[in-house]
Amino acid sequence: MFSVGFRALFRRELLRFIRRPKNTFMPPAITNVLYFAVFGVILGGRIDEPVAGIGYILFLIPGLIVLGTISNAFENASFSIFHGRWNEYIHETLTSPLSYAEMVVAYIGASAVRGLIVGTIIAIIGRLFVPISIEHGLFLVATMVVIASLFAGLGIIGGLVARDFDDLTVMNQFILRPLVFFGAVFYSLTMLPATWQYVSLLNPMVYMVDSVRYGLLGYSDMLEVAPEAYAEFAPYASLGVLIALTGAVIALDVYLFKIGYGLTD
Amino acid sequence: MPPAIETVDLVKEYGDLRALQELSLTVEEGEFFGLLGPNGAGKTTFINTLVGLVRKTGGEARVFGHDVEDDYRQARDAIGLAPQEFNVDRFFPIREVLMHKAGYHGIPEAEAGERADEVLKRVGIYDKRNERFDWLSGGMKRRLLLARALVTEPDLLILDEPTAGVDVQLRHDLWELVTELNEEGTTILLTTHYIEEAERLCDRVAIMNEGRKVTVATPDELKTRGTDTISVQLESTPAVAPDLKAYAHDTRVSGDHLKVRVDDGGSIAPRLLNDLEAMGYEITDLEISRTSLEEIFVDLTRSEDRTVTRSSATTETDEETSERDAKREQEGVA
Repeated sequence: MFSVGFRALFRRELLRFIRRPKNTFMPPAITNVLYFAVFGVILGGRIDEPVAGIGYILFLIPGLIVLGTISNAFENASFSIFHGRWNEYIHETLTSPLSYAEMVVAYIGASAVRGLIVGTIIAIIGRLFVPISIEHGLFLVATMVVIASLFAGLGIIGGLVARDFDDLTVMNQFILRPLVFFGAVFYSLTMLPATWQYVSLLNPMVYMVDSVRYGLLGYSDMLEVAPEAYAEFAPYASLGVLIALTGAVIALDVYLFKIGYGLTD
Repeated sequence: MPPAIETVDLVKEYGDLRALQELSLTVEEGEFFGLLGPNGAGKTTFINTLVGLVRKTGGEARVFGHDVEDDYRQARDAIGLAPQEFNVDRFFPIREVLMHKAGYHGIPEAEAGERADEVLKRVGIYDKRNERFDWLSGGMKRRLLLARALVTEPDLLILDEPTAGVDVQLRHDLWELVTELNEEGTTILLTTHYIEEAERLCDRVAIMNEGRKVTVATPDELKTRGTDTISVQLESTPAVAPDLKAYAHDTRVSGDHLKVRVDDGGSIAPRLLNDLEAMGYEITDLEISRTSLEEIFVDLTRSEDRTVTRSSATTETDEETSERDAKREQEGVA
């Protein structure tokens, strides 16, 4: 199914981050221990259950998993592409007989794996603070794979568009993080006034965090706050939209490789 | 069998700049072909168009009959490129870098490992196989680029300025290696500014300037396009150069020598001596020097008027000649 060339590039991409755990896995592990300790234990003890029956630490876990997963998937893809462009060794791939689709899927696949590994690490850290039982396992895995792939695909665009390393930082800090923080990671939409609940529904992160929360905890804000017609289908509708969006981003990546955007003169 | 490289009216434009201007070139399978030209002539752009690092604006380009855009996978699979710039993966030891490159070309991992070892031995840096690229010396980096180009066993090996800035020993090693490869059947496209390199290695050379093909010829053919200078030492130096326009392109007095530029020094020399004696000059010495390929190269690429000088008989003063020589030096070809 996968060609030797594809497997070689996928393996190269995996090894690049696996061999550098200090740079790739340690920082999110430490950050999340801090999040759980400060927000979960120290502050969380004084915060009422955001949702009946779900303590604050437990409520935080899905959002933090999403945050870690998507930022690492994005960062890996954007860095790998941009660093390869910067030092021109991406030419090793570009001058090979790999098809453009194979190149893109290998980069996305490996970056998504990094995101999923980080997501799993965060889940394990969370488990150290509070017991978790997975409510909808298959749905959870499907959602995680889709959002990791989506952000890996977006990371490729970031890596192609960036003109210097600062551009990569800007994308992560000024676009991703605000969206995630206002994506109901740290609070439930039910805690917001009705107007802000509807404004929040314009933020795509809300659906991702909510879907993962549904998969992991069996609870979805959507069922409470979304318009009735939509709430019936949520969060499966969210997953469907995310799959479609991911497909579109991958197709765009392949197109950019084909025209050589940011890659060729 | 289609040619190894065939381009027809190949054009590459960067905004207003035309880096390649209707370039039509054919390199036959098995040839050792040189691409010569000053900096900015379009040599690297031409190569990068073949391997997919530059998208052409117009025209056609095929590698072993495969269109470089429509059949890019087949075209790229046939090419091994050793570029001018050090564009090597910095994250992995060089043996793994070679294995990855082989892998991208569809070579399974075990075989890729064997090939990596083999090419590292061939270029003489096997003992550095576990080092990363950044830790290699300049010469070793150059060798690695060649190893990376060879690890996929390409039918067409493209070497872009492979000996730029390398020491004499390495240059000779590289020459020996690429000659061997060519004898084994690999088609080689070499770009260089070193005329000696082209003269020594290439079956044919194309001279490029400002994105255009100026000429294609064997090094020997090119040399016959140049002129010879007959330097005659006279007992008494004449105040003005004698009139020898019947066969001389130019005649000038330089110190106690008379310098006469002609097409074929060997056959003209007896006639020149007779004529000079008839004019009353006493000859004490005579020397014939051929134009070097380097001078021909400079002539071909230094101005818009690229006509080689066989048919253009002129009489130059010393001042004009030295002005020309100074200009050549400034432009340089090395």
